[in-house]
Amino acid sequence: MIDCQSAMQQLWDYLDGELTPDRMAAVREHLAVCKLCFPHYDFERALLAAVARTKDTARAPAELRTRVMTALQRDGMAGL
Amino acid sequence: MSSGSGSGASSSFEAEALLWLDDVHRFALSMTRDEADADDVVQETYLRAFRSWQTFLTGSDCRRWLFTICRNVFLRSKERERLTVDVSSPEVETLAAVRMHAEAMQSGWGVDSLLDRADLGPAIARAIAELPEAYRVAVVLVDVEGQSYDEAAEIMGVPVGTVRSRLFRGRRRLQEALFIHARDAGFDPPTEEHQTG
Repeated sequence: MIDCQSAMQQLWDYLDGELTPDRMAAVREHLAVCKLCFPHYDFERALLAAVARTKDTARAPAELRTRVMTALQRDGMAGL
Repeated sequence: MSSGSGSGASSSFEAEALLWLDDVHRFALSMTRDEADADDVVQETYLRAFRSWQTFLTGSDCRRWLFTICRNVFLRSKERERLTVDVSSPEVETLAAVRMHAEAMQSGWGVDSLLDRADLGPAIARAIAELPEAYRVAVVLVDVEGQSYDEAAEIMGVPVGTVRSRLFRGRRRLQEALFIHARDAGFDPPTEEHQTG
């Protein structure tokens, strides 16, 4: 089994699902049994989820949509 | 197969490209940090996209294609060269973030309750906005917009390893900023009663 240093070095790659299947399995196996590393995994996972949730708060202003449509029509876009 | 021409192109453009206006605006704003500049970038992005619509392949990822155009419009509008930044290795950044969390846990100021705070969203958004551009773009593309490392690399026009380095440096700085925010907001260490459970 990989050690703590190796597991934590790969933590963000693991959370992003960007490791090879073998490495994903190795980190998963370590986290399942390591009480020292699991809280760090849990925190980073929650932090990335909180960052992802900021997406929900930002919308394009309605005026921008109108402005883009007008510019596109001027540029020859038909049927809008 | 291309996306066609004439009114068919217009309707397919409206259905496939204008659908992503909110996303393109959000991405533009993350780069410009200014509403008026972002609006200019979005408008130019859509004009360029429409003019190139014939080259867009039906079935491709339209959002990623628009992000790529948006990024190029931003870089050209500001006459900025693609930033080269010195970063530590991604593994070092990851370990630094883990160590930061470990130290915060040991100091006993309840850092994990930080993520339960209702006011965390605005603090995160502010911390992202304050990141240097190179890191901010990587964090926004991967962590907010859900792009893979490969997809973000295509949009940013840099190698995947560069995306990973910038992303991890950005995340570490983001985490650091949130910890400082938590301390400034008065996250006191838990009481003796809480510590002993």
